[in-house]
Amino acid sequence: MDFDVAPFTLQSAAAGVLSWLSVVGILTFMAVLISFLLSVARNGAGGIGIFTKGLLSYLEDVGSLSPRRILALTNLTLKEAIRRKALLVFAVFAVLLMFAGWFLTNSNERAELQVGIHIAFILQTISWLLLPVVFFLSCWALPEDIRIRSLHTVVTKPARRIEIVLGRIFGMWIVTFIVLVSMGIIGYVWIVRQLPPEAKNQLTCRVPLFGYLHFLDREGQAAMNGMNVGDVWDFRSYIEGNSPGRGVFSFDGIDESSLVFGTQTAADGSGTVQVPGLMLECRFEAFRTVKGSESSIIQGVQAQYTLSNNPRETAFGLFAGSSLLRPVGSALRDAQYKTGANRLEEIAAKVATDSDSVKAGAEAAEVKQNDYFVLRLAAAYAADVLRTRNDAALTSAAAAFQKVSDSTNDLLNRMSEKSAEPYTALSAALTELAGVLTQDAETLNEHLPRLDVVLPSFHVAEYHEGSAQNINFVPRVVRFSADAETQSRSLAAVFEALNSKNQLVEGDALNPNLPGLLHSEGELSEANANLVTEVLSEQLTSGVLKVADGKLSVADGQRWLQYFDSLIQKNLLVSADSEGWMMERDLINDLTTDGRLRVEVSCVNDQMYLGMARPDLFIRKPDRAFLVGYTKALVSTALMLMLIVILGVTVSCIVKGPVALFFTLTFFIVGQFFHGFMQAILYSTELKGTGAIASAIMGAQHRGPSVGMDVSETTQRVVEGIDSIPRGLLWAFSQIVPDFTAFNAASGFVENGFDVPFAETVVPASMICLGFLIPCVLIAGALLKFRELESK
Amino acid sequence: MSNDAVIEIRNLSKVYRDFWGRKKVQAVKSLSMDVKKGEVFGLLGPNGSGKTTTMKMLLGLLFPTSGEMTILGKPASDVSKNERIGYLPEESYLYRFLNADETLDFYGRLFKMGSAERNRRADELIEMVGLAKARRRQLKEYSKGMTRRIGLAQALINDPDLVLLDEPTSGLDPIGTREMKDLILRLKAQGKTVVMCSHQLADVQDVCDRIAVLFQGELKVLGRVEDLLEVRNETQIRSSSLSEAAISEIREVLKKHNVSDAVVSRPRADLEELFLRTVRESGERPGRRFTTEEIAGKPGGQA
Ligand SMILES: Nc1ncnc2c1ncn2[C@@H]1O[C@H](COP(=O)(O)OP(=O)(O)OP(=O)(O)O)[C@@H](O)[C@H]1O
Ligand SMILES: [Mg+2]
Repeated sequence: MDFDVAPFTLQSAAAGVLSWLSVVGILTFMAVLISFLLSVARNGAGGIGIFTKGLLSYLEDVGSLSPRRILALTNLTLKEAIRRKALLVFAVFAVLLMFAGWFLTNSNERAELQVGIHIAFILQTISWLLLPVVFFLSCWALPEDIRIRSLHTVVTKPARRIEIVLGRIFGMWIVTFIVLVSMGIIGYVWIVRQLPPEAKNQLTCRVPLFGYLHFLDREGQAAMNGMNVGDVWDFRSYIEGNSPGRGVFSFDGIDESSLVFGTQTAADGSGTVQVPGLMLECRFEAFRTVKGSESSIIQGVQAQYTLSNNPRETAFGLFAGSSLLRPVGSALRDAQYKTGANRLEEIAAKVATDSDSVKAGAEAAEVKQNDYFVLRLAAAYAADVLRTRNDAALTSAAAAFQKVSDSTNDLLNRMSEKSAEPYTALSAALTELAGVLTQDAETLNEHLPRLDVVLPSFHVAEYHEGSAQNINFVPRVVRFSADAETQSRSLAAVFEALNSKNQLVEGDALNPNLPGLLHSEGELSEANANLVTEVLSEQLTSGVLKVADGKLSVADGQRWLQYFDSLIQKNLLVSADSEGWMMERDLINDLTTDGRLRVEVSCVNDQMYLGMARPDLFIRKPDRAFLVGYTKALVSTALMLMLIVILGVTVSCIVKGPVALFFTLTFFIVGQFFHGFMQAILYSTELKGTGAIASAIMGAQHRGPSVGMDVSETTQRVVEGIDSIPRGLLWAFSQIVPDFTAFNAASGFVENGFDVPFAETVVPASMICLGFLIPCVLIAGALLKFRELESK
Repeated sequence: MSNDAVIEIRNLSKVYRDFWGRKKVQAVKSLSMDVKKGEVFGLLGPNGSGKTTTMKMLLGLLFPTSGEMTILGKPASDVSKNERIGYLPEESYLYRFLNADETLDFYGRLFKMGSAERNRRADELIEMVGLAKARRRQLKEYSKGMTRRIGLAQALINDPDLVLLDEPTSGLDPIGTREMKDLILRLKAQGKTVVMCSHQLADVQDVCDRIAVLFQGELKVLGRVEDLLEVRNETQIRSSSLSEAAISEIREVLKKHNVSDAVVSRPRADLEELFLRTVRESGERPGRRFTTEEIAGKPGGQA
């Protein structure tokens, strides 16, 4: 998939609407002001009265809009379009479909591609056929009405001119709508009938759930981007094979509704069963450092998913943002709270040194400002994550983190004061945090469990293999080989449970039934249960474990979690099964926190890189009917045509047909192809004196842009002011020209077999369309009202 | 200003300008006149004298360069006045893809009219203008006269109090012309006010109460038709039943009164004469407005 969808938020939409409204507001105000000045210039003082009267009468018109009259005018427009044979466009459509049938249907192609081609053909044909019709209808109708003066008979009836505008717009909307719906139906039937049977089941509407992507670098530290393999245009970032490098996708909103049914081998190995689970679909790109000539066969790429529920990563990941703090984060993420505390104490010492330097009037040089920024954010975030877990065991740590963040904030705010006090305070807060971490180390370790489910690696299909589509089904109850941490947590849990029921020991020895109990109560295979019992009875004999009051405990008072950790570290509990220490966990209950699922992607192969971008991995929610996405794509097209109608009618209120057509087309082309370009110019980094005049001056003075002009400050201001005018105009223009690309996104989804997310396509498109409707109608109504209806 | 004036025009001027705002032509020059309620008012003048321009300004289609006017007591730019106005343009500018029924229905919907009333009105009007047979044909198939007729029907769809007719009889056959004149008189009988422009002087003469003659945008003559056309110092006796004897007796009587070579009649000049004279005199003495007496006191051929 080569199209990316910018995450759409209501906030950004609201911001867009606001900025657009402000432009419209400014322009309307300017228009009103200019007409006022013109009125005064023409009529002297009397102009004020004339202007006020005109304005009031226009407002009255707007206030007395009559649905009956608008409807009559709408109806008129509709009849006109139909009687003028606008519907002939159907004939063209039919002919095109006939011919296309011969050329497009090629059963040798892959089904997936065929489907895409057919859908693209229909959607493109519909919009390209309707575009000229809509352009001509909207730009020609009113000027023609004025030219042949049929409008004279209408405006000498009580019809307000703004009603004429509305009637025109609505009528053309209805025409467009009728044509679009009919073509849509015909197109749908055509697609379904034209596709060969084997391609028809590809005619679905996948519902992707996209996540957010960040990376872990080759040291396993969080990073915004992966590696670049040299191609600047590549929007993918790469991770190195066989390294800690990871692409980390975080998906929000995972719950039971995200599950689909997939096949899994039955537990007894007899055939397959249908079980619910998550469908992961990806399209990654591989980059090889080994040239094809060196190894005659192009080696396939293996990738691996790790589903990870890791509160420590979430809580402490941000410490990676500064090299000073990174060791703290690494230790905490690895549950090495004491090491983390030591690192914090070192930093506290540095801050204290700085405190002394400041006191002595010197520069604080040990800790950089950037480190403080990172510290403020990372500590606050850690506090927040710990707090929201609603766990009493974590409160003191959360409070200590919060205090560090607050002190850092205070320090940053008071940095210019050159006072030693905030430094001292922060140093104290850091020491205090270190204390809490040391003291609570074991509790924290027990209460912040990391669960990593490493899924089997899989071959990544690439484009040259025909299809780059990779689908992995992960059953809801996922079976996996546990890592050390999960293994020891699971063991500790079952030992605690059995111990509390006094079932671990019988007399002075272990319960002879222990293997059976471990197998039935805990998550141990029979072989592993025997292994654990064996190891533990040895430990009991050697006195590492002891029995007291019918309970088993570690002689030195260690907790079970630490105890098993150390056993595993000593390689005493290596799985007796060939599969590994197998366990089962629930995707929804165990692997997501607040609906968030983290999927880490790694590349298995040496000397290979795996490239990925945000849309490259997504969770496929239950598919929808193809018709759903298809309809949404047509709705987007309809909205685009509706917007063209609005623009065309507005412009045609003041100029003649060809000129109106020219302007509307310009709007369309600029909005379609240059909108992004204008934004790029506007938001490019500002250089000093890059305006036309400033460059001329600098050219004359033989000075470069980095130096600036050698002129007085006033001159500089004036020059900059003048130079900012084109930029301002461009800004206004870029705001006025609607972003037509918003209407194209939907068809891309459907052609690629995706459902069209409402929030990211249809919603912004409707907002643009409606955003233009009201101001345009108001402007058009005024243009028509205050012009003479003579075409000469 | 009197209360029964339906239209009041004060010092109305109109300058047509081109795209760049340069003056092209002054179509109306400080025109002042009133039209009273219930009268039939004729606007006369040679081609290009500003009749249509004046009418369009009254309707708010054009904006005056200067001057004031009220129509039905409201400013010309007020759309709500249109509720009570009917307008037949110079040429019938209608939607050619509609048929007669649809045309009337469409214009009817622009007024506050229920559908029953609209249909009744449409039937009546179609009957009246004699298009019953062609009511379902699209206007683009209509002849010029038929278009004129449907144009008239749409102008009357709202049963207006004030009817503005721009050359109502142009394009009509003699019967149509006759019917149009009857209709105007009927409207007058219903108490409506009619303002019309025309070149068909005979028509104007037959139906108008008062006329105004414009020349190059200036008002030249304004007055009652009877007054304007009466020739004061002549007498005409006309009869088809006078015997030769009676005629010679009359001659005798005239002779006795020292009248030689008399035509026994009291003729009215026809409007054409008045019109031509006004135009000629205006050419000679531009900028001058003629009084009724002046116009009427000059027998044909003497000016
Ligand atoms: N739209 C226009 N632009 C420029 N000049 C115009 C326009 N309309 C009319 N004129 C000029 O204004 C003058 C008056 O025109 P108007 O149409 O009012 O005359 P009229 O009395 O109605 O003539 P007719 O008897 O031929 O209909 C003419 O000189 C004409 O050329
Ligand atoms: Mg005219």
